[in-house]
Amino acid sequence: MRYGDAVLSGDSMLPVLPALRELLPAGGLQRGSVLTTGCWGLLPLALAAGASASGAWSAAVGVPELGVLAAAEAGLDPDRLLLVAEPGQDWPQVVACMLDGCDIVILRPPDRPPAQLRRKLEAVARRHGSVLIVVGGGERGAVRPGEHSEWEGAQVRLLPVRQEWVGVGAGHGRLRARKVLVAADGRGAGARSRECWLWLPAADGSVRPVLEDTQQRRPDQEAVSAG
Amino acid sequence: MLCCWPGETKDGAAEPSARAFEPVLALLEQFCPQVEVLRPGAYAVAARGPARYFGGEQELVGKLAEAAGQAGFGCRVGVADGLFAAELAASSSPDHQIVPAGATLEFLARQPVSVLGLPELTVLLPKLGIRTLGEFAALPAGQAASRFGAEGVVAHRLACGLDPRPLAPQPPRLDLSVQQAFDPPREQAEPVVFAAKALAEQLHARLLTRGLACVRLQVRVCNADGQQVSRLWRHDGLLSALAVAERVRWQLDGWRPDSERPDSERAGGERARGAEPPDEGISGGGITLLQLVPDQLVRATGRQLGLWGDAVISDQLARAAIRVQAMLGHQAVTFPVLAGGRSPADQVLLVPFGDADLPERPADRPWPGRIPAPTPASVYQVPRPAVVTDQGGDAVSVTGRAQLSAPPARLAVADGPDRAVVSWAGPWPVTELWWDPARTRRQARFQLITDDGRAWLAVLTGGRWLIEASYD
Repeated sequence: MRYGDAVLSGDSMLPVLPALRELLPAGGLQRGSVLTTGCWGLLPLALAAGASASGAWSAAVGVPELGVLAAAEAGLDPDRLLLVAEPGQDWPQVVACMLDGCDIVILRPPDRPPAQLRRKLEAVARRHGSVLIVVGGGERGAVRPGEHSEWEGAQVRLLPVRQEWVGVGAGHGRLRARKVLVAADGRGAGARSRECWLWLPAADGSVRPVLEDTQQRRPDQEAVSAG
Repeated sequence: MLCCWPGETKDGAAEPSARAFEPVLALLEQFCPQVEVLRPGAYAVAARGPARYFGGEQELVGKLAEAAGQAGFGCRVGVADGLFAAELAASSSPDHQIVPAGATLEFLARQPVSVLGLPELTVLLPKLGIRTLGEFAALPAGQAASRFGAEGVVAHRLACGLDPRPLAPQPPRLDLSVQQAFDPPREQAEPVVFAAKALAEQLHARLLTRGLACVRLQVRVCNADGQQVSRLWRHDGLLSALAVAERVRWQLDGWRPDSERPDSERAGGERARGAEPPDEGISGGGITLLQLVPDQLVRATGRQLGLWGDAVISDQLARAAIRVQAMLGHQAVTFPVLAGGRSPADQVLLVPFGDADLPERPADRPWPGRIPAPTPASVYQVPRPAVVTDQGGDAVSVTGRAQLSAPPARLAVADGPDRAVVSWAGPWPVTELWWDPARTRRQARFQLITDDGRAWLAVLTGGRWLIEASYD
């Protein structure tokens, strides 16, 4: 078997955290597919976390500021993470190499790649059966919902639409958790659009769904009751 | 036998990378041509020849220490019969220790069993009333073997002043060396390192088919000018092809004349953070030949891998990482290692793929005052300058007693737009390393949330506001 002992479950599918299952059309990361997640943040790390826990390797290309500790709290095993912070001019080759070696590649391209290059990288991902998660470049706010111009060939597009931090007042408290409304749509099987409120992160740094009846409660209480 | 520990550089910081020790090795070679690298930072040479030349062991040690001091390294030297005793002599004394010839057994007998470096025995033996190596050596070897297993046999041999493994009958002398010629000569190190991995795989395959392992590996490199550098590396059948390639890289890096080294490298400074310049040329017209020669062949006895739990690096992954390293340089592909610290940037150490650096601040300590979970998703490698102002437009400051001048009202990050601060927390004052004037830090941290919904970790230090991290 090509993937050896790396990932045992589901040959064509990498698992994701339970909280994210609803957002993805297949309930997991389809091998050989491309996803986009808007701007850099916890979301792409959370997407890779489920697979990492079951033994998959991830690589992050072009994200020098990746918060490894936040990734670990979200469930991504730092022992199975490779970082190529500055891929430079040759980033497409670097991504192609990493798609060969790792199961998941998180990429923030330094510029908007031409269509031909995008198709080439999609083909590489398909050939090696790995997942490419593309993070939008530039500052936050450059991409608005409905304006997914970053990577047209992506099967699934996730986008944090609204967010709200809790725990901090005017000069007291501390950041406890963030409620994020994540919208998902895509092509083919993923065309149906979905929305979901997530704790991204919850009080302990993990990722979990916002339950309807506990929406008004403090997140740390919920973390206790859910844990 | 002599063992040298150039432990620290001039500025007292522990060296992050094995390559920094190359100058030491060059220095040692001026005294004794055959230097064995036990591990980066520890070297062994046969002392008898050089001692006779320099007029005695004391004189040799004195000259070595002087030369090391001039080159800016601290070093500790131990001389004894046998490698284990010499290493012990070097590490247990503040500077130099010479165990007279024939007195090694007495020297060993005084040592506590903890020096064996075997955690299980170190705990077990004192419980059995055996506190020193002498007491342990007094046991019959057979009893030690039946009670403590293979580990006990090695420990018992060490305690008796013998080499850790018994003499193996010399396997037939075979030329198992592998080599590759480069035509045209290679000016850059990367292609040579890349070739070294393939060569090492070839060498390991050859050894494997004969059931042999090599204790040491000799790496010989020739350049177009006819110069050659050969170096011995400890192998013990444990090095992977990747690890051999690394050692070739260290050797090539160390070959560059001192004047070509960048300043940061000479000072042993911030290289792990990617300050390494692109691969520099190799002097002398490029490399024409790389040869790997297995030294001291022994029968391979194999080794046991952990059954579960190890994050095994597959060949496929290693190949991909090395290919990227060949493209971008050694520092370009990194592994994160969690370390201890209070700021988010301190808590992660990036180790180049293939190196094995342990964080100097372990992560499993309490670290009071660290930023509590959840931790930020973006930690800027270089904190971004920011301007934080109050309602009146004056910069917000904090007094020595952590009193805020006014609540922060607006935040502008780097060249970004000016945003209103909707909520904030802090100041959380931190004074770190106050006993070390060069590295001490006094800071006050804040969490700021701006009106676009983003959360920031800001720090005020020396009157300047910096954004260390962003939470989304």
